[in-house]
Amino acid sequence: MSQDAMSEEAAQASHRDGDTTDFGFTRVDREAKAGMVRGVFDSVASRYDLMNDLMSGGVHRLWKRFTIELSAARAGQTILDIAGGTGDLAARFSKLVGPEGKVILADINAAMLEVGRDRLIDKGAIGNIEVVQADAQSLPFEDNSIDCITIAFGLRNVTDKDMALRSMLRVLRPGGRLLVLEFSKPVSPLLGKIYDQYSFQILPAMGRLIAQDADSYRYLAESIRKHPDQETLLGMMEEAGFMECRYHNMTGGIVAVHQGFKA
Amino acid sequence: MTQHDPALLSAALAGAERALNQAIALAPTSHQALQELSGTLLGIEVTSLDLTLYVDMVSGTEIRLLMHCERSTDAFVRGSLEDFAALAASDDPAATLINSGIELQGRSASLISLQQVISAMDVDWEAPLVDVLGDVPGHQLAQALRRLFHWSEGARTSLKRQVSEYLLEEGRLTPPKAELEHFYDAVQSLSMRVERAQQQVERLMARAATNRNSR
Repeated sequence: MSQDAMSEEAAQASHRDGDTTDFGFTRVDREAKAGMVRGVFDSVASRYDLMNDLMSGGVHRLWKRFTIELSAARAGQTILDIAGGTGDLAARFSKLVGPEGKVILADINAAMLEVGRDRLIDKGAIGNIEVVQADAQSLPFEDNSIDCITIAFGLRNVTDKDMALRSMLRVLRPGGRLLVLEFSKPVSPLLGKIYDQYSFQILPAMGRLIAQDADSYRYLAESIRKHPDQETLLGMMEEAGFMECRYHNMTGGIVAVHQGFKA
Repeated sequence: MTQHDPALLSAALAGAERALNQAIALAPTSHQALQELSGTLLGIEVTSLDLTLYVDMVSGTEIRLLMHCERSTDAFVRGSLEDFAALAASDDPAATLINSGIELQGRSASLISLQQVISAMDVDWEAPLVDVLGDVPGHQLAQALRRLFHWSEGARTSLKRQVSEYLLEEGRLTPPKAELEHFYDAVQSLSMRVERAQQQVERLMARAATNRNSR
């Protein structure tokens, strides 16, 4: 997506009446955000995993590995991976829950799901995986039907995060857990400064070079800065009704994984 | 859970897990023994590093290393890094386990079996070289590596012997074993004689005190 097209769409959206929300550093109409986020991910879908590896130096795999450990997933369980995109978490969960369990790979973006489904088939992860195009704000699943929900690097793109958290609580079984893996706020000011330089200088340049799309990667950096920090997200989860909420900082707080249970 | 950054620990465990599983894949003779341990979960707490990790025996060909696990362990061991290093290198793990500072909860048999399987693992390093380079170059490289390994083993043994000889014979920096044992025996004998003399003195003093009181 070009910078001009994105700015024009944002400007049009922000001039309309009604509520506005963040789209990176720009305020846009709430109704328009989902479409604009879809545009970003349509643009990056085919090279999403490659870019993640390059942007994080492969560390995103370690963040996800720890998230999978925290899920304590076991045979026979039903796991919902929201914003699961290219399916790397779903592939691991598929093995852990076994043939008697089920993994639901959900994403609002059809292009990402398509890439994810192809990758899972290539890896041989089939049989216990369902692929569902779904909006995190209104999950199309029965109440109390899921043992564990993960959302990795997806919550910051959701327009109404509180609504999404309530929707996740509804579908979780009592005792079930939610794990939110998301960029957060570095705990050291020095690391924060280095990270800012990286995000706003190097990241868009890498996006331009690898995915021929600097604007989408600039949006990713901006959306990270607008996302609630560790304590704010913890409060939002408690407000939504989750119990025993806590978080683990990773890589100096650049990323945090929040955990909460349904009573 | 420890206070270490989970991403750093994940990196270490992911690397170790991959190396371990690759070694297992290249050692088919270990698969049967590992299969018998499948489903076993071991907990390890390294007190000197404030680190707890879990070894999940998934199957005969796969081991998972975890830093967080909510299942109950079959065996849980706690000790310092030095204790675990000694156990890993031990020829008699049962004796090492008893005599070291390692605390054990649960079944020791699974821990000892795992240590024995890993230390006896006969890894066929030639297989991946042949897969990548082809039969002839792969075999030749493996032979060259084996020769290098045997040479370095020989060089290490020879160096150890020569250093030992220099310290004993040329430099006279350390005493020979026999001389040292003779010295220990002499010290032991002197210690016993001193003890006997002490007892005799105490008896004489007691007798003298009795004589004084009777007068």
